[in-house]
Amino acid sequence: MKLHVVFSLGNAEYALPFESVLQMESYVGATLVPGAPAYVEGIVTVRGLVVPVLDLRTRFGLPRAELRLDTRIIVTESAGRVVALRVDSAREVLKLDVAKHQPAPQIVNERSSGFVHAVHSLGNRLLLLLDLPKLLGENSHDRQLSALPEDDGSSAHQQLPS
Amino acid sequence: MLAIESSQRGGETNPRAVRETFRSLHTIKGLSAMVGIEPVVAIAHRMENFLRDSDRSGGALPQSAIDALLRGVRAIEQRIAALGRGDSAAAPSDELLVALDSLGLGAGPVARSAVAVLDLDPDLLGKLAPFEVDQLMRGIAAGQRALRAEFNPSPERAAQGLTINSVRERMANVADIVRVLPRAVPVTPAAPGGLCFILILLSRSSDEVIAEAVGLGSTNLHSIARQPATPQVEVEPQRAVEDGLDDTEHGAIDTHARRGVVRVDVNRLDDAMEGLSALIVTRYRLARSIASLTERGVNTRELSEIMKDNARQLRDLRAAIVRVRMVPVSELLERIPLLVRGLRRATQRSVRLELEGGNAELDKSVSERLFPVIVHLVRNAVDHAIETPDERLRRGKPEEGLLRVTCSARGSARLEITVSDDGRGIDRAAVAKKAGRVAPGDDAGLLDLLCIPGLSTRDIVTTTSGRGMGMEIVKRTIVDELGGELSVQSQFGQGTTFTVRVPLTISIVDAFSFECGEQRFVVPVAMVDEIIEVDPNALVQVPANDDGSPAVDIISRRGMALPMIRLAQVFRLNATNNACGKAIVVRRAGSPVAFAVDRMLGQQEVVIRPIKDALVRAPGVSGATDLGDGRPTLVLDLVALSASLAHFVTADGLKPAALPAARTR
Repeated sequence: MKLHVVFSLGNAEYALPFESVLQMESYVGATLVPGAPAYVEGIVTVRGLVVPVLDLRTRFGLPRAELRLDTRIIVTESAGRVVALRVDSAREVLKLDVAKHQPAPQIVNERSSGFVHAVHSLGNRLLLLLDLPKLLGENSHDRQLSALPEDDGSSAHQQLPS
Repeated sequence: MLAIESSQRGGETNPRAVRETFRSLHTIKGLSAMVGIEPVVAIAHRMENFLRDSDRSGGALPQSAIDALLRGVRAIEQRIAALGRGDSAAAPSDELLVALDSLGLGAGPVARSAVAVLDLDPDLLGKLAPFEVDQLMRGIAAGQRALRAEFNPSPERAAQGLTINSVRERMANVADIVRVLPRAVPVTPAAPGGLCFILILLSRSSDEVIAEAVGLGSTNLHSIARQPATPQVEVEPQRAVEDGLDDTEHGAIDTHARRGVVRVDVNRLDDAMEGLSALIVTRYRLARSIASLTERGVNTRELSEIMKDNARQLRDLRAAIVRVRMVPVSELLERIPLLVRGLRRATQRSVRLELEGGNAELDKSVSERLFPVIVHLVRNAVDHAIETPDERLRRGKPEEGLLRVTCSARGSARLEITVSDDGRGIDRAAVAKKAGRVAPGDDAGLLDLLCIPGLSTRDIVTTTSGRGMGMEIVKRTIVDELGGELSVQSQFGQGTTFTVRVPLTISIVDAFSFECGEQRFVVPVAMVDEIIEVDPNALVQVPANDDGSPAVDIISRRGMALPMIRLAQVFRLNATNNACGKAIVVRRAGSPVAFAVDRMLGQQEVVIRPIKDALVRAPGVSGATDLGDGRPTLVLDLVALSASLAHFVTADGLKPAALPAARTR
């Protein structure tokens, strides 16, 4: 059994492993950064760190949403990078049996561009498990990395469960 | 080491340098043993032994010895670096140890077995490291007395000021402490703590002198050298005594020089800086809420007075902490001769190094980031620029190449470092061909070419260059990370000079805050040439390209035409009013560029936090700061921004090869 943070986005529920979440905060907006990709809302300061905020709605092709009292950012850490995800709401921390994760159906995998790597049924709820390294890794525009022959996108593909 | 070598080359010995090196190694060994880094102990011990012998024979070292010793130094450095990264220190290679061991052949190993000489409980003997046993043996052989002292700590003795620390300190004045071993003993009136410290010593002083100096009874002292002593004990006592005198004399000088100096982990300084940063942010919040009180008609005169005091105190505190973080630039420069020495040997070039450094100081973190850059530039110069001796002679140059590294403070906030050589210079056409671009017309264009990611002008990766950090990374470190400038002047066939200008400190700077397109920004004061009023009537609009490039206006300033870019347009912000108010003028490689903004807000100290994630890294944005509203405010590097827009603002009508990265990402 492993702890997961559950959040909602549109009409779906997603889960992230608890250990990849640093903290959750209510969200009042970020500072725009010129030239950043459309799904980047801007930057916020978390514990003295300057952290980008990804709008998961835009990332997943959903219409943008207004800020509400429920709106949260989930501050995540993956491979040394700290990135905040803007979600509609985040209320639950659940224990999930990792053995009961099922591979995401082909169509889900394709529709989510591979960001959902597994699904988990819990009673009548269906939780989509997010592949955080892939979600963050594919967007790395690190100039040092892109100077290398292999781009980091290909290595992220190899991490995907087949 | 280099001092030893250079006097050696001049046919002289340098006993003083040999002794100093010996002492440093001894310290390294002792400290390493204390924290259990055996590989370093093993290397340092061998080097130390050899130098000790060399010192006794007047400080003469063969050239081969210096090579081996330098290898030893490097091996120690590597291991310390590995430990610093959290890796474990690798065991030294046998070959290195043999090389170091064979240096000391003349001295002869200690022949007698330790057990035969040392009257020590086998249990205690087992706890001593080989080098400590060796030290005892050598001490005895040199006529010193090997002693075992016992100290039983008790509350009573502690009240008299006798603790293991004070005993250690006092003992160090009259004896060499080889090792202190704590031991559990049965609780008795003499040892109420059930603990006994055994100090293994070497000394020339009598029991009485030691006992008096330390405040212990002489009954606590026991000789551990077995009698009868072999004839070897009588070895040249006179010289040994001289050694001893030298030791104490130097020891006294050393402690005097170090008195009042504290070595501090950089992380602790960072913590202090972090605390100060938080204070400054809190101050802004305070200032804001006072301002809103004033707006509501509350009398805040007294509060404002307090805020003024507070501002001054914060400024003083900041200055104090910044000063603590400063290291002399000579710390950087004195590492260069060793680097050049290695390069000379690896590349078979003949190079003379001229170092010219002021006494400027710079922030430790700046210094740390700057060093790899200097290493890179120096390597490039020796490996790529300076020709082989034959080639130099053919070209009518002196056989020996010249490498000059200078360092000087520019004003109170910047440091300028130049690395120049009299080598072959950079062939602009060849670099351009390699990069698949047209040959640049000037040095600035050449630098842009050199900094293209992945560009190497060498086809073969040599052992010294062509790998690792390229010019692109140099530029990124200097310009993006440190907020400095990089420039190059190269004369084909004559030589090349790289000039680096960096701020002396980074994290907290004075900055102007301003508003543009409903968003607030700050720009460091040091970067700003001037702030001008924009007279809409004196504006000449340059016809805009239809490729989406930002419009450039020309304004007249003191009779000179000055290109002006609207920041709101570059950043695609909602431009509120088209009649712009102010413009911030910066200089890029000497030529001024103005950025139009909506209005200036003020000047304040800001804490710059780096923006690390690549997702939100943009040209012209060097970091973020918190002005007290809880939200980050972007810190702009308008010099870098104007560079990334260079194609639009240069007068020679160059078509942009691509949109600036800020717009395509």
